[in-house]
Amino acid sequence: MYRVGIDIGGTFTDLLLVADDGSSIIEKTLTTPADPGAAVEAALSAALSERSLGGRGMLIHGTTLVTNALIERKGAPTALLTTAGFRDALEIGREHRYELYDLDLELPQPLIPRHLRFDVPERVAADGSVLAPLDEDYVRRLAAELWSKGIRAIAVSYLNSFRNPVHEQRTRALIAEVAPEVRVSLSSEVAPQIGEFQRASTTAANVYVQERIAAYLNGLEKRLERCGFAGSFFVMLASGGIATVETAARFPVRLLESGPAAGALNAARMSSLAGYPDVLSFDMGGTTAKLCVIEKGRPLKAREFEVDRRYRFRRGSGLPIRVPVIDMIEIGAGGGSIARVDAMGLLKVGSESAEADPGPACYGRGGKEPTVTDADLVLGYLDANYFLGGKMRLDVAAARRALSDLARRLGLTVEKTAWGIHQIVNENMANAARAHLNERGKNPQRMPLYAFGGGGPVHGYRVAEILRLPGLIAPFGAGVGSTFGLLVAPLAFDFARSAYQRLDEMDWKLANSLLDDMAGEGRAILQGAGLSPGEISYERTAEMRYVGQGHEVSVPLPGGELAPKQLPALTAAFEDAYRALYGRSVPDVPIEVIHWRVVASGPPPKLNFSPPVAARAGTALKGRRPAYFPEEGGYIDALVYDRYALKPGDRLAGPAIVEERESTLVIGARGRARVDHALNVIVEFADE
Amino acid sequence: MNETALDPVTLEVIWNRLLAVANEQQEALMRTAFSTIVRESQDLACGFFDTRGRMIAQSITGTPGHINAMATSMRHFLAAYPPAALAPGDVLITNDPWMTAGQINDITITTPIFKDGRLVALFANTCHSADIGGRILSAEAREVYEEGLRIPIMKLLDRGEPNRVLLEIVRANVRQPDEVVGDFYAQMASNDTGGRALLELMEEFGLASIDAVAEEIINRSEAAVRARIRELPDGEWQSETWGDGFEEPIVIRCSVRVSGDDIFIDFAGSSPQSKRGINVVLNYTHAYASFAIKAAISPDVPHNEGSFRPVHVSAPPGSILNALDPAPVASRQAVGHFIPSAIFGALAGALPGRLLAPGADPIWLTVWRGENPPFNITVFQVGGTGARPTKDGLSAVGFPSGVAGVPAEVIENLTPIVLRRRELRADSGGPGTWRGGLGQLTEFARRGEGRWSVSPIVDRCRYPAPGLRGGGSGMVGEVYLERGERPNPKSVIDLSPDDVVHLNLPGGGGYGDPFARDPERVRADVVEGYVTPEAAAREYGVVVRYTGDPKSMVRLAEEWVIDEAETAERRKLKSKK
Repeated sequence: MYRVGIDIGGTFTDLLLVADDGSSIIEKTLTTPADPGAAVEAALSAALSERSLGGRGMLIHGTTLVTNALIERKGAPTALLTTAGFRDALEIGREHRYELYDLDLELPQPLIPRHLRFDVPERVAADGSVLAPLDEDYVRRLAAELWSKGIRAIAVSYLNSFRNPVHEQRTRALIAEVAPEVRVSLSSEVAPQIGEFQRASTTAANVYVQERIAAYLNGLEKRLERCGFAGSFFVMLASGGIATVETAARFPVRLLESGPAAGALNAARMSSLAGYPDVLSFDMGGTTAKLCVIEKGRPLKAREFEVDRRYRFRRGSGLPIRVPVIDMIEIGAGGGSIARVDAMGLLKVGSESAEADPGPACYGRGGKEPTVTDADLVLGYLDANYFLGGKMRLDVAAARRALSDLARRLGLTVEKTAWGIHQIVNENMANAARAHLNERGKNPQRMPLYAFGGGGPVHGYRVAEILRLPGLIAPFGAGVGSTFGLLVAPLAFDFARSAYQRLDEMDWKLANSLLDDMAGEGRAILQGAGLSPGEISYERTAEMRYVGQGHEVSVPLPGGELAPKQLPALTAAFEDAYRALYGRSVPDVPIEVIHWRVVASGPPPKLNFSPPVAARAGTALKGRRPAYFPEEGGYIDALVYDRYALKPGDRLAGPAIVEERESTLVIGARGRARVDHALNVIVEFADE
Repeated sequence: MNETALDPVTLEVIWNRLLAVANEQQEALMRTAFSTIVRESQDLACGFFDTRGRMIAQSITGTPGHINAMATSMRHFLAAYPPAALAPGDVLITNDPWMTAGQINDITITTPIFKDGRLVALFANTCHSADIGGRILSAEAREVYEEGLRIPIMKLLDRGEPNRVLLEIVRANVRQPDEVVGDFYAQMASNDTGGRALLELMEEFGLASIDAVAEEIINRSEAAVRARIRELPDGEWQSETWGDGFEEPIVIRCSVRVSGDDIFIDFAGSSPQSKRGINVVLNYTHAYASFAIKAAISPDVPHNEGSFRPVHVSAPPGSILNALDPAPVASRQAVGHFIPSAIFGALAGALPGRLLAPGADPIWLTVWRGENPPFNITVFQVGGTGARPTKDGLSAVGFPSGVAGVPAEVIENLTPIVLRRRELRADSGGPGTWRGGLGQLTEFARRGEGRWSVSPIVDRCRYPAPGLRGGGSGMVGEVYLERGERPNPKSVIDLSPDDVVHLNLPGGGGYGDPFARDPERVRADVVEGYVTPEAAAREYGVVVRYTGDPKSMVRLAEEWVIDEAETAERRKLKSKK
């Protein structure tokens, strides 16, 4: 069986096909924004016509369609049914100014306007008991009228439905009676967790994009048939798992951010193969950098994500989406990040970006502002004649011009200013990484940086140095990274349920039934995707905290039925996890469980992928050029290597520069690099 | 560190690290805190200080009243415990309102940080404690002694040893000892986390002291604020702001004088201090005054000792904005939160077309207490903000306070309270070319039998948020029981099990002539129910009609149309008047 991954990016749609024998086909075609499926079809037709592949295939697809539909507000007109008195939960949100001093602050617009949000008479209490019955007649009349006025999507989010979904389920049945073709999402299915705002927001987003995504995926299925693809078709999820088209169309909001998720999976797989299961993955592009902690070969996960942020990088400024997602931070730091002098007379870099258009000054497309790429060019890290493998000439004079005004205002030379920009953007990324690691109680001392993207290898060495990581790994050919990630994802689906319970007063029956329900749902979804029960494994965790706290700590649960005799072990497991995060546990305070989680997954795919081989014979040393290494006193004649001529076992010492088409690896003076069997360049820091 | 090393790049690198340290400190606090007030509502502040007690960096979120008041408190800590009297492992504590955030519930904990045996910095944070004994948090006390246990500046840890006497006294005096003492631990852990990060940073940069960096940052911040003040015209402007007070209304008279690169803010002529707990200590007045100036002219300059220097704040001793010990102060935010609006009212003279209209201003705080099962929870709510010169105000968003709300489901999971309603309040935003933000309609009931009570500390129930430049006022707030009673909204209200408490929050003031509002915007407001058709006609002169079936529940946007002729007529009439 062959596997093929297809990833739609902003500019290119990438395809990677790996056959049984380990051989591979790569296709790259321009993305077709108006009809994204067209590019997928084109790429797949090309790949399938290249050679005849026997047997069935398995196609895994990653798409940003959901993210785009939410940001561009291109979903279906949607209605929200809520508990009477709470239709504004979606708009009232957190009642919080996420930025204290901005008098012009804006809040994200809810996906569903107020005139389509309806008060339904019903009420369930916090313990799940019914305080007021559902007004069934009201729901029927409302659904009929919504139908008659052309509303085809309804989100239902009642208070405390995560405890007792009976009214939400009945509401769906009633809607089906009068308007069977309307799409309905229930908050108790999409995000059964406490917090009426976040739950309603997630449910609204789910049904808002559902029609669009379902139509797209169904259309794509037909296209795949048309190009002669025989086999199964899966979609990448934000959590790093994959799901069938049917499941994806039911929970489209789970497809958010699947591109970056695939990138992180690829980093996890490649670094594990290189012998480093614990790394900090670092993807730096033109406008942003993304960081993700990989532990034991798996990216960390989070349970909430924000989309459509008003302040791009400020928590609280976007629509909350509560789905399992690979835990990544995005920082406004990239090649296009603009440098300026602030009110204090200090040098700042980002988060404003020159983007791709006009781009950095050195692109010669009209950009005048000094950017990170301009600084990297002046520092000699980039070769004006070998940018994108020589496809684009960079204008050094334009870069210097852009920097000189800044240099004058700072009272520094152009070179010192360039180094300052380089240093500060690295500091910004390192600070964000440090905060991310701290919040998760992770110690990076044994975690090298896995640096990819156009800017990752240029900045990785210094970022690793600032964070005192042991080194960095620069993979060969970072370009197909996230497509490869699609191929290594297992079939998996994550579940979560909220139920406040004190550990010492646990209702074990309820706990077991929640866990069993989730496992059962997972089993059904994965068997539906063709797995046998024996192939499915379940990972169960509880999110726990001291009674009264607001943040939970994930604690792994043992298999089998939970029972009172496990109390001491569960307590100890929580205290260990808590101490790892905060240094000391709190004596004599009871512990409670807030959420229960189950991840049901199939076996990791067995992929026989032959490592790349050195493409070019002969010496790898290309020459020398002046580049800035402050530890050597400034500009030196640095050795420049050709990445395509490096072979497994080659060793080199910094200061050095290694060039490939997609990026340039900069190795500082303390760097000692070796090339491994997969052509990764692994850099470690020598002692000073 | 030598002088030449402090170039704008190195300084930026170290400065960024220092900010990261403060945020790390805050993150640890929010994640380990017990009380919902800290963890959900973010009623807290974190920051650190140089060895002279000058604030260097503060965390990004939190409450302005705490952040800036904490800055002043450090002088008192150092006066009580000069560096020579401090040792590694010591932790200091106080809640003295006159030294810190002006309220006895606000606990400030300070941890000195040592490097090689030398004091290098002080880390501090202030949190609103779940309880501090005394009366339930309210405005009813007549002296601060009734408001709870006052902890003078003292050691909470002495060389790592807990002060057991103090902890036992605290536990014996408060209603929720686990939460209160748990938060002490969270506050200490937060300072420890920040301190550790600072020491790592000093190690890495080879710094023996951060005083030189602090000095440079403080001086540059001062220079940046002074540069902004110089851009303002010299002159003096006044404003007058009215609040409900406890029994009698209070007035805040504010004068703002710009002279060169200094700003003088004076509150002479404001009401004398109240007999009840709505008094503000000068620390807190100063805190919100400097917040207002930063938001108005220098949001991008960090808040520290230097940026405070050009802003001079005074209020007559014994006045409501400079109350004297032992005045009751528990509900000081009910007056203190008016300060930014008062300052903007005057400063608008120097910054025409830049500042927003007054909004709901004081946060609405209610403390709910009851039996069966026993509970005690503090709920924050917010009304609408004032309209801006180019934008509508924000609905259900606090200003100036930065606290956040608590989800209904969290309240209901922790207590037998049942929220019956939490929705936006139509027509509560002051009409204007730009409309004020909307307040909220909320209703609280309980399940089961048992006594319960609410202590509301709310305002703008008599004096609405006024509009600016021709804009109309927002709606006033209301507190009443469903059975009809309208108690004093600042006193404890005893409730029977079947009572329903209505809390209707005020809206923000409008900006500019409402008859100049784009009719399309008025129509959109009617479609969404932010403004009723009646108010649209009356306040905006825009007649919007629903053209669909009058019985329909679903009223689509396109079914609402503007009656152009009648609108033109109404708007013409107004312009003739």
